[in-house]
Amino acid sequence: MSELGVFVTLGFRHIVDLEALDHILFLVALAATYRVRDWRDALWVVSAFTVGHSVTLALAVTGALVLSPRLVEFLIPLTIVATCAENLVVREQRRIGWRGGYRPVFAAVFGLVHGAGFASYLRSLFVDRIALPLFGFNVGIELGQVVVLVLGAVALAALDRLLALAATRRGASVLRWRVIAVSAAVALIAARWAVERSPF
Amino acid sequence: MRAGVALLVALAAHPLHTTLTQIELRGADGSVQLTVRAFSDDLRAALGGDVSDSAASRYVRSTVTLVDRTGRAVPLAWCGLRRWDGVLWLCLRGPAPAAGGLLLRVGLLFELYADQINIVQTKRDGRRGALLFTRGDPPRPVP
Repeated sequence: MSELGVFVTLGFRHIVDLEALDHILFLVALAATYRVRDWRDALWVVSAFTVGHSVTLALAVTGALVLSPRLVEFLIPLTIVATCAENLVVREQRRIGWRGGYRPVFAAVFGLVHGAGFASYLRSLFVDRIALPLFGFNVGIELGQVVVLVLGAVALAALDRLLALAATRRGASVLRWRVIAVSAAVALIAARWAVERSPF
Repeated sequence: MRAGVALLVALAAHPLHTTLTQIELRGADGSVQLTVRAFSDDLRAALGGDVSDSAASRYVRSTVTLVDRTGRAVPLAWCGLRRWDGVLWLCLRGPAPAAGGLLLRVGLLFELYADQINIVQTKRDGRRGALLFTRGDPPRPVP
């Protein structure tokens, strides 16, 4: 395996592992408002998240940005709660903020926080020749996120079917119930993490 | 319910279980040097709290194996330990077989973490390569 391949594998396995449940739930919260046919929008949002965490990861690993790991670990679940709150409050994302175009910006900003979470590990180990590990790790994270997104889409489609059985009307109402169910459940879990990790 | 919450909290801790080993084969003096970097807290857990030179040396030499193509283990001598930013740097050195064909296995921390990934960067006469070990992987040829 090439050196780049090793670090791509490291990033990929890191994001698809259940140990990375906070990042997985963040992606699920981001994807909860999209139907399968909106996959391009979902991919844009997830890619914006990658851009955000890549920027912070690069800054933190190279020492240009120093953040307290405890604070970062506390902020990560807060980004999940905020995403869920946005899902619950905004009913029609396409009708506001550049026809829903605000969501990639939103994801990129929160990605900045998540990137700082990865950084403390990489910086300590790869003190020399950091560029290749950093690049490979980020590519692996992005590939892993696409896999999580696909699996999430399958799970959300299955949830839609269940909700459709219970609902009297199909279409928007099923999507809305899905958004409410997923966002509320994920927000509760993330809020619990935020309390557990609070540095205050 | 409590077990479920405890599981979710544990999963959310989200550590990156990895080590980095750099192996350099120096043709000029016929030696091989391995530098292992591992997070202090992981190594402390593996060593039961004792991160002295002797304990670390015993652990690394039992989990990092280097054999020549006849299957004979390359004798690796301890060449020190350094602590930096939450990471321990551990050094091993030995003679490099002239015929080459080395097999390496880095089994650090597999007994602790199912998701442990051990990365190896190799350097031989200026050429670089890399290996990756996960739990259950066999020894691999050093590129």
